[in-house]
Amino acid sequence: MIKINNVSKSYVKGKKSIDDLNMEIKDGEIFGFLGPNGAGKTTTIKIITGILNPDEGDILIDGKSITKQPLEAKREFGFVPDSPDMFLKLKGIEYLNFLADIYEIPNEKRKERIETLTKKFEIYENLNSEIQSYSHGMRQKVVICGVLLNNPRNWILDEPMTGLDPKSSHDLKEMMREHSKNGNTVFFSTHVLEVAEKLCDRVGIINKGKLVFVGTFEEMKNKFKENKSLEDLFLEITENEE
Amino acid sequence: MKSKVISLTKVIFKNSFQNMETAKSTNENKNKKSAGMIILYAFVFIYLAGIVGVFSNGVIKELIEINQEQMFLGLILLAIAFLVLIQSIFSAINILYYSKDNEYILPLPIKPSQIVAAKTNVLLLTEYFVVAIIGLIPLTIYGILTSANILYYISMIVILVTFPIIPTLISSLLVLIVMSFAKFTKNRNRFQLIATIFILVVVCALSFTVNDTNTTPEQLVAMITKANGLVEMLRGAFPTLGMAIEGITNVNAVSQLFNLLLLVVTTAVVYAIYILIGQKLYLKGAVGNLSSGKKTKKKFDKEKAFKKSSLTKTYVGKELKTLIRNPIFFMQCVLPAILFPILMIVLTFAGIKGEQNGVPTDIASMIPDKTTIYLGLAILCSIQFFLMFIYISATAISRDGQNATFMKYIPVPLMKQIDYKVIPNIIMTTFMSILTVVIVEYLLRIPIVYILLITIAAIMMGVLQSYISIIVDLKKPKLEWSSEYAVVKQNMNLIWPVVLGMLNITIIVILTLLLGNFINSYIFILLIAVVYLLLTMIVRNYIKKNITKLFDKIY
Repeated sequence: MIKINNVSKSYVKGKKSIDDLNMEIKDGEIFGFLGPNGAGKTTTIKIITGILNPDEGDILIDGKSITKQPLEAKREFGFVPDSPDMFLKLKGIEYLNFLADIYEIPNEKRKERIETLTKKFEIYENLNSEIQSYSHGMRQKVVICGVLLNNPRNWILDEPMTGLDPKSSHDLKEMMREHSKNGNTVFFSTHVLEVAEKLCDRVGIINKGKLVFVGTFEEMKNKFKENKSLEDLFLEITENEE
Repeated sequence: MKSKVISLTKVIFKNSFQNMETAKSTNENKNKKSAGMIILYAFVFIYLAGIVGVFSNGVIKELIEINQEQMFLGLILLAIAFLVLIQSIFSAINILYYSKDNEYILPLPIKPSQIVAAKTNVLLLTEYFVVAIIGLIPLTIYGILTSANILYYISMIVILVTFPIIPTLISSLLVLIVMSFAKFTKNRNRFQLIATIFILVVVCALSFTVNDTNTTPEQLVAMITKANGLVEMLRGAFPTLGMAIEGITNVNAVSQLFNLLLLVVTTAVVYAIYILIGQKLYLKGAVGNLSSGKKTKKKFDKEKAFKKSSLTKTYVGKELKTLIRNPIFFMQCVLPAILFPILMIVLTFAGIKGEQNGVPTDIASMIPDKTTIYLGLAILCSIQFFLMFIYISATAISRDGQNATFMKYIPVPLMKQIDYKVIPNIIMTTFMSILTVVIVEYLLRIPIVYILLITIAAIMMGVLQSYISIIVDLKKPKLEWSSEYAVVKQNMNLIWPVVLGMLNITIIVILTLLLGNFINSYIFILLIAVVYLLLTMIVRNYIKKNITKLFDKIY
């Protein structure tokens, strides 16, 4: 479970990039985080993962505060950043072993996890090559495999579908569903409204740093009492806030 | 044709300088910060210029005493030639091949000759910075001390502008030739690395063969006894050096102007030939460089592949692999640590060769007391000088680029990660210190206890520098870069190791002058080592206490 309590953040004095954000992503839930470019999605994710410190408020990940117990909180989630261009000079297998060492995964378990995950994402055969030689999609896959190695209860993904081919995208969505079914939490940001509509149990829409809607799609439609497409509703919500 | 070359030169040059601005500073702070940085650069430039000036002043006065002052002009021009020759190998590879602008420039309707010309111009412009420091200041001081006429200053400017061009073109041409084979290789990174080292060796070997003038003792005596005769010895050391020396020293104005004209014409001809060859070679290498090579499916040893390691081993291993496998990082961060002591070895052997020719080079017998404070100080200062060029810590965060945020979301304490990131710098500075000390010991045969104390002090100096440098990088990380070259070359943070190094040298020198006569040299060196240790503990403690704040800029 991820709990965001009264979080605010300003990069420039007097201008809040995130303004008093409150959200709760429950166990067993896939939560989509939507918003226009520059709305504050990535900033929020950076605060949740400890990359940025909030000016006010706190985040609890499975009850552990990211500001007060950062190491404990960081063990509770796996994070896929928006750019997969990571450690390009390491070989795929070296990168995965590096992460396995960080998360202290024992030999037998790491072998089984690495083999299963990389075979599923069809990158097993390329593991002994430098990540630099991978395509964008393959890099994305190796980063996702790295996160899933530790099998964390909370998945946080920033635009995870970007660059994935249809099959890998389908597989990832399936894995997200399976993960949430087992009582875990999936939190991801996306621009693709159709993905959110089909995959998410609930969505949050952020605009200019403020949370303008949280709930299911049904609730969204009921709130606006209109039978519009998700795209139209999204545009209406974000434009009304202009 | 001309306008395209000029505008392309401007764009590439400006682009490389815009990269120097550090990312993520707000507009309000920018003016304040840039004013501060200008003051800092001015200070560093004046400091460097001051050192060069004081040194030149001393040498010229000594040479005037023995009627050999023109030797100084020859030596400075020779130094420019070799420095430019070596430095432009690195710059040429980076500017011609590594820079990301190739991806945008190559598809444009510009002729290869125009691209080569523009890139070479940028290369030359960057070399002039070096020339300004090691050429302009000493030659001006020479002019003042010898009360030279206006013709001297005019020819000085002509020579400083034209003379560095040919060494730059030689290195650049070697790079073009070797890199045109890039497309035949499978592992382009390894190829580029080997190519650079190969070119470096070729240039060094050429320098030493050309420099080997085989002067007999009789000739030497004749040269020394004749006024300004020694400079004759240098004429053959570099193809255009004779013309440049004649152009600046000749008392006959007509001959002086003739030699200047000859230098300008020769340079222009070489430039034209270079462009002709360059346009044929450039596309081969540059295109080969853009393709990332075939994707191969390499099998791996399953038994070894999934083995657990300690966090320290795996983290430091990751740092070292990234450093070694990336040719730019390797050349700029690791290679200097090996190169400087090796150059010392080469020079040593060149010296021994000189001894066979009858020139005395037995340095050990020239220093009777090998346990003086001054000797220890000289060794420490030399090592400190080499340390200024090891940038592993100073770029430890920036090298990760946008990826640096990784440090903040993994469950490993930030201080632990800082220690891991500093270790490669400590390894290289220690390696360099030991190698230097071994060479010095071979040459001077210093008592073992004294040389051991010096080694310990040098290692401690490296550790201190490693921790201070990472603070600089944490405070002003350069995370948004398009080419690795921007991190290690177009990064103004790297001025800090130089500033701190110079400060350290100044402090050691002042302390030695103050205490040199009152304190035992063994105790003095030991004290220096202890002070470095204490300072390291203070600096590390500062990082630990302010770790969250220091990581503020990484997001």
